[in-house]
Amino acid sequence: MAAANMKAVKLRIKSVQNTMQITKAMQLVAASKLRKAKEKADQSKPYFEIMRATLRDIAVNNTEFQSPYTRQVKNDKWLYVVIAGDRGLAGGYNANLFKFMENETKGRDYMVLPIGKKAVEYFRHRDVELFTEDFAEVAKISVSDCFGIARMICDAYSAGRFGHVLLCYTQFVSMLTQTPMASSLLPLADFEEEVREEQALAGNDQPKAPVRDLILYEPDSETVFNAIVPEYLAGLLYTSINVSVASELAARRTAMEAATDNASEMIEKLSLFYNRARQASITQEITEIVAGAEGNS
Amino acid sequence: MATFRLQVVSMDGLEFDGEVQRLKLRSIDGDLAILARHINYCTAVGMGKATVVLEDGTERNAACIGGMLSMMDNLCRLIPTTWEWGDEIDVERAQRAKERAEQRLHDEKLEEQARVRAEAKLYRALVRLSAAGK
Repeated sequence: MAAANMKAVKLRIKSVQNTMQITKAMQLVAASKLRKAKEKADQSKPYFEIMRATLRDIAVNNTEFQSPYTRQVKNDKWLYVVIAGDRGLAGGYNANLFKFMENETKGRDYMVLPIGKKAVEYFRHRDVELFTEDFAEVAKISVSDCFGIARMICDAYSAGRFGHVLLCYTQFVSMLTQTPMASSLLPLADFEEEVREEQALAGNDQPKAPVRDLILYEPDSETVFNAIVPEYLAGLLYTSINVSVASELAARRTAMEAATDNASEMIEKLSLFYNRARQASITQEITEIVAGAEGNS
Repeated sequence: MATFRLQVVSMDGLEFDGEVQRLKLRSIDGDLAILARHINYCTAVGMGKATVVLEDGTERNAACIGGMLSMMDNLCRLIPTTWEWGDEIDVERAQRAKERAEQRLHDEKLEEQARVRAEAKLYRALVRLSAAGK
């Protein structure tokens, strides 16, 4: 009985060791990739922030509504651009984002533009209407792909396939914390609501001054917005993809680190158990031999 | 001379943040210059050489392509698709790109799409060369 037990424990240790090797390797890979991804994300962060701040200022002060990109439209269909990962084993990275999405989309008529294999799988499984599946692999997306996506979104938006565009991505807060976020992309009028909500949250619930600063558009607002909006979409997409990729790697690194720690803890416990069983079997053998010798004499 | 704050940010990061006297660049509508206390203003950026006159009067050139410019309450934000300072441009590479594009454009059987792409490449190379001062 003891021998069979020992063998099973030995096999168990072996298998845990193998798993640990894999998680350890994945942790190292994620850590080294993370360094590069973080650099890239940090680099594009000011672009993202200044671009949003600029567009917000324009949206709040805008008085020109010729361009379809700026005015509030009567179309209650939403397009969600969801940036998830290509692979699992990244802790709650994908699950958190999808949970967040579920809350966000409650009661809305929406379709999805998934970026990342996990996002494609998830939304296909749930029979959500997909805008396109051409951008399944988040790791392969380049700047020019982002421009392609932006142009597709703009065309479909102008054709009236949806009235609002929202971007869901994972914000890189720190190495240990990543939070899913949503940010409005189109129309620019949606920004105004976001700003008002934020002001209300900050306890600043005074209604905004009715006087708006006039902005001069050259040659005219429609031309300017038609030129700016695709670029702005592409830029925001690209930068939030960078941030999401960094978040994914950080989440994977943390998850794999925890897995490796758990595995080594498990090995320790199992070795203790194994040694005890070994000791017990030796003691038993000695007792048997001694008993046998005594019986003989 | 009066100055204003200029922020230049491209996808490669924050390229410039500081007080300047003047910014000159090419919008989709032609060349323009921004001075301090300009009216709130917004336009789309074309392709061309941009010149920044710093607080102490020194000029810096850059190749500025695409994106947008906004001037709000004396804060100027320039968000180009690509921005390269003149002294960081690889002149040889731009020269080579220019020659390659020219060669391609000489080919009469070139398809329409490829022609548009080659023209854009040639234009970008020319902008780079002019920003590098060559």
